[in-house]
Amino acid sequence: MTELTSATPELGKAKKERISLADVPWWVVIIILIGIYVTFAVLSNERYIEAFRFILPGVKITMQVTVLAYALALVIGLIAGLMRVSKNPVLYALSTLYVEIIRGLPMLVILLYAGYVISPAIRDATHRAITFSDLQEGIIGLAIGYGAYLAEVYRAGIESIHRGQMEAARSLGMTYMQAMRYVILPQAIRRILPPLGNDFIAMLKDSSLIALLAIPDLLQMGRLFVSRTFRAFEGYNSVALLYLVMTLFLSLLVRTIERRWSVG
Amino acid sequence: MAEKKKQLGDRIIEIYDLRKHFGHVEAVNGVTLHVNRGEVVVIIGPSGSGKSTLLRCINHLETPTSGQIIIDGVDITAKGVDINALRAEIGIVFQQFNLFPHLTALENITLAQRVVRKRRREEAERIAHELLAKVGIPEKADAYPDQLSGGQQQRVAIARALAMQPKIMLFDEPTSALDPEMIKEVLDVMLELAREGMTMLVVSHEMGFARAAADRMILMDEGVIVEETTPEELFTAPKHERTKQFLSKILH
Ligand SMILES: Nc1ncnc2c1ncn2[C@@H]1O[C@H](COP(=O)(O)OP(=O)(O)OP(=O)(O)O)[C@@H](O)[C@H]1O
Ligand SMILES: [Mg+2]
Repeated sequence: MTELTSATPELGKAKKERISLADVPWWVVIIILIGIYVTFAVLSNERYIEAFRFILPGVKITMQVTVLAYALALVIGLIAGLMRVSKNPVLYALSTLYVEIIRGLPMLVILLYAGYVISPAIRDATHRAITFSDLQEGIIGLAIGYGAYLAEVYRAGIESIHRGQMEAARSLGMTYMQAMRYVILPQAIRRILPPLGNDFIAMLKDSSLIALLAIPDLLQMGRLFVSRTFRAFEGYNSVALLYLVMTLFLSLLVRTIERRWSVG
Repeated sequence: MAEKKKQLGDRIIEIYDLRKHFGHVEAVNGVTLHVNRGEVVVIIGPSGSGKSTLLRCINHLETPTSGQIIIDGVDITAKGVDINALRAEIGIVFQQFNLFPHLTALENITLAQRVVRKRRREEAERIAHELLAKVGIPEKADAYPDQLSGGQQQRVAIARALAMQPKIMLFDEPTSALDPEMIKEVLDVMLELAREGMTMLVVSHEMGFARAAADRMILMDEGVIVEETTPEELFTAPKHERTKQFLSKILH
């Protein structure tokens, strides 16, 4: 991946330009054209305008939930991932248990657990000192679920770094955690950027499951619209279109970031 | 040759009956060795004879199975020793360089200074620039490892180790991954270090370097020291059959 291109700036530049010419992502162009057509069709149609008006607030919730849950999942995943590569048998066992259990459950089950089992249990155990809103339950459920997947991504990234890197860092007197922080993780994270980006997109899609917790996200607003107006066609078309706009934008972003990092 | 009469200090490394076993493999199998301050010891021996393992035990990259290692009066095989503090005092240079690829040459040299020695950025960078000049590549401060030749990478690795101001430098075949034309530039740096009085343990089959710098030569085989002598004696009058055989192989 990392090539010797940046040795001379001119060389690097020339290469970048050539890539952008040869590599025009035609599927993106086609989707943009379809997008423009759909936008026109939608904007000139009274029924679609109505559907969009109704559903649009759900987009904000979906984005909010996805970003917060993903940030939390990154932290959970990092901690669990570090535990997975630890030589400490207790840490290793605990993290393995977490990863295996969570990955063995459907995301929907995890979310229902977060909403209807864990959250009430915590509320009762703390005598209502700690309570979670529906939204928080959804975010925590998604974060716990994705944390397990991200833990494995981190672990694979850390294990892909040559043993000599840790030895060199330790031989200079760094502690294990210092070596992780300054030497191993910066290299590992560059390598796992593509799967991390893909998991973000996957989480955006899976966030639609929180509709089951009665959170007014994009999907839930679509369902509400359909049940009120009986216009399933316009309602679900709008939902699908809005998800697509977000996921396609994100996958373009992920590609761009990937390219930047792998060259630099 | 005249320089060999240099004054050597007190014992800085004392190793007693060191053993390191990997399962059934007895990589180091009873080594007793003393090194004086300022001494340059060159270790030779066939592949798998335990040379690397011996070096790696000295800075605790490997935990000895048994035996005792005393560095500058501190028993590092005792329980509760601060292993990180010890390692900062012992530099090691690896065959594969092991530079940090995501950092520039300068950052490679400043990282541990800042994190371990807690030096301020300006001071760490000043030291790094001085060391880059010392190893002959002051202009490569901002280059990344993959923009450097093998010889340049190894010199950065030496500078990185020296930045910690170690008492001892360990070299594990520092030139055997290098193209022939780059070997000399690295050996020159090592010779200079030896002249300055650094205590060095060097695993290397570069006999030119050994003749010029070694105060003592050690031949290892099957995890033990077979012969321990001066370079002159080793090359002119090796005592043991195994030494003769090994020398005939590496001297062609
Ligand atoms: N981490 C390890 N696990 C298992 N066996 C090991 C390990 N490290 C070394 N060994 C074994 O210990 C023995 C000595 O290895 P060592 O690397 O010390 O030899 P060496 O003299 O440095 O050889 P070379 O000249 O090839 O570098 C070898 O048989 C090797 O296979
Ligand atoms: Mg070796």
